Amino acid sequence: MAAVEIRNVAKSFGPTDIIRNVTVEVPDGAFVVLVGPSGCGKSTLLRMIAGLEDIDKGEISIGGRVINDVEPKHRDIAMVFQNYALYPHMTIAENMGFSLRLARQSKKEIEERVQEAARILGLSEYLHRYPKQLSGGQRQRVAMGRAIVRQPQVFLFDEPLSNLDAKLRVQMRGELKDMHARFKTTTIYVTHDQIEAMTMADLIVVMRDGVVEQIGTPLDLYDYPANMFVGSFIGSPAMNFLKGAVRQVNGQQVFETGSGFRLPLHAAAAAPDGLMATLGIRPEHLSLSRAGEGLAGRIVTIEPTGSETFVVLQLGEDRISALLRQRLTASVGDELWLAPQLDTTHLFDSATTKRLTGS
Amino acid sequence: MSDREANRAATRRRMRRVLVDRGIDVVLMVFSLLMLLPLVFLVSNGFKTPQEMLAWPPTIIPANPTTDNFAAVLQDTPLLRWIFNSVVFAVLSTLAILATSSIAGYILAKFRYRSLNVIFALVLATAIVPFEVYMIPLYFQAQSLGILNSIWGLLLGYLVMSFGIFLIRQNVIHSIPDELLEAARIDGAGELWIFFRIVLPLLRGALGALGVLAFFQAWTAFAWPMIVATNREAYTIEVGLALFQTGFTVDLGRLSAASAIVLIPSITLFVILRRNFVQGVASTGLKE
Repeated sequence: MAAVEIRNVAKSFGPTDIIRNVTVEVPDGAFVVLVGPSGCGKSTLLRMIAGLEDIDKGEISIGGRVINDVEPKHRDIAMVFQNYALYPHMTIAENMGFSLRLARQSKKEIEERVQEAARILGLSEYLHRYPKQLSGGQRQRVAMGRAIVRQPQVFLFDEPLSNLDAKLRVQMRGELKDMHARFKTTTIYVTHDQIEAMTMADLIVVMRDGVVEQIGTPLDLYDYPANMFVGSFIGSPAMNFLKGAVRQVNGQQVFETGSGFRLPLHAAAAAPDGLMATLGIRPEHLSLSRAGEGLAGRIVTIEPTGSETFVVLQLGEDRISALLRQRLTASVGDELWLAPQLDTTHLFDSATTKRLTGS
Repeated sequence: MSDREANRAATRRRMRRVLVDRGIDVVLMVFSLLMLLPLVFLVSNGFKTPQEMLAWPPTIIPANPTTDNFAAVLQDTPLLRWIFNSVVFAVLSTLAILATSSIAGYILAKFRYRSLNVIFALVLATAIVPFEVYMIPLYFQAQSLGILNSIWGLLLGYLVMSFGIFLIRQNVIHSIPDELLEAARIDGAGELWIFFRIVLPLLRGALGALGVLAFFQAWTAFAWPMIVATNREAYTIEVGLALFQTGFTVDLGRLSAASAIVLIPSITLFVILRRNFVQGVASTGLKE
């Protein structure tokens, strides 16, 4: 196990900057998820840690050793790829033991370690099969097994669950967490799926356009997004944004939306009056309210799922969505009043998109 | 619809399918017979006397089978030597083409340097230059190297096959994902190890197909062996067979006997590599 430090790292492909001055500290034994939309540079950053891409600027160290110019095989890492990257012409046992064979371990040692990893992953009976004879989930497990047998200092995962169906993904998510709990190996995991990030990470690194937008625990990011991008990216369904301004009404600060609704702001809001701002409200923090309280709009969509109801309202030019715990009798076109819980709203500066609410 | 009507409709459909299948079988059978007939005649002519060969209607099974033609061919010409030359030439050329194509194809497919694009374009460009264009310069080269009338001379024009490089490059791009090589690099494999233990085993199908194509390319080569081999002992079988056709006569009996003998290695190889050959033709879209 080892801590991974990424210091002021930059990378460009030709004239395009892929990674711009990124600094991340991955504590020893932590499960860190790099998350962001496609093209944000998260996979490139992971590949730079693995040694599959050169580092143009900055430094990456594993366990205190700078590895900028160290070959991938000497970095003491193991990587699991999205498409598993199993050697098709080798059996599962050969696939899992390949790195040990290259490291000239004894046959007995290889067999023991492969058997042990296979036992942990429930692959013991498939060791003599070929990858094409296994299902997607099993192949993913083999890829994990190949990483485990090396007993590396760091595990790197590049969107390992993207090729699996939804149910299997949930199951493998659990298995990955179990694996981390068992080995406590430092893990860096790349995904574009914020649910994966939220459920698995000790620490999430949100990236966009090659820049780190925020680093924090899953709930930190959910409760205190540093800017509108993080607010919209973390949490599902996505956060609503209402444009408006901060006003002083009867000695209290309120947020006035473009369509004229006034919502009280909680005391911690640190915004000057008249500031053009954006209010972020998560759909799950809206609830039905009495007429005249909160926001009103016409229902555009209603999606009841049984346990909850997802509604979309049209408020003047804005659209907001809400996830309600109760069932609705209203139908499309009806007017509905919704009010946010005061302490869960997020105020952002419209100009900088940065968070204003004091946390 | 009642059950009976449904049954009847199903039976009709089945009948129609059977009829269509049988029809296709008959057509294919006729065509395969038409394709095979010349070969059958070739072999049977080898066993015929000159009179019977010119008789009308032609016979498939010779009335008075004779091995005179075979005996004459084997005694009067160094036929076995020519076959030996051809086999050695074809095998060495195949090995050379497999080696050069797999190395060049893999590098052109997986290593990203701008200069490689230029090299690949040049390789492709050579494919559109007819052999006849550089045959003569190549001859002078062989002459100055002092390898005329030798296997090395024959090989000079058959060491590299631009189509083979192209075939392997495409195959690598389609069947070997980058991640596989990256996984191997992280696992600790060196570039040579990756090439021999991962890339080559995964290219087995393509290399088999290319091998068959390369073998037959050399086996059926005529122009280059014709100019590079000037004495009878150095001929390949293709050149040797042409000797039976002189300006004025064609010695049909001997030509048939010699051709029949020559068929043996080709057919043997085809039977052994049948699957690769079919795969090769299917994957290249070539008809040879």
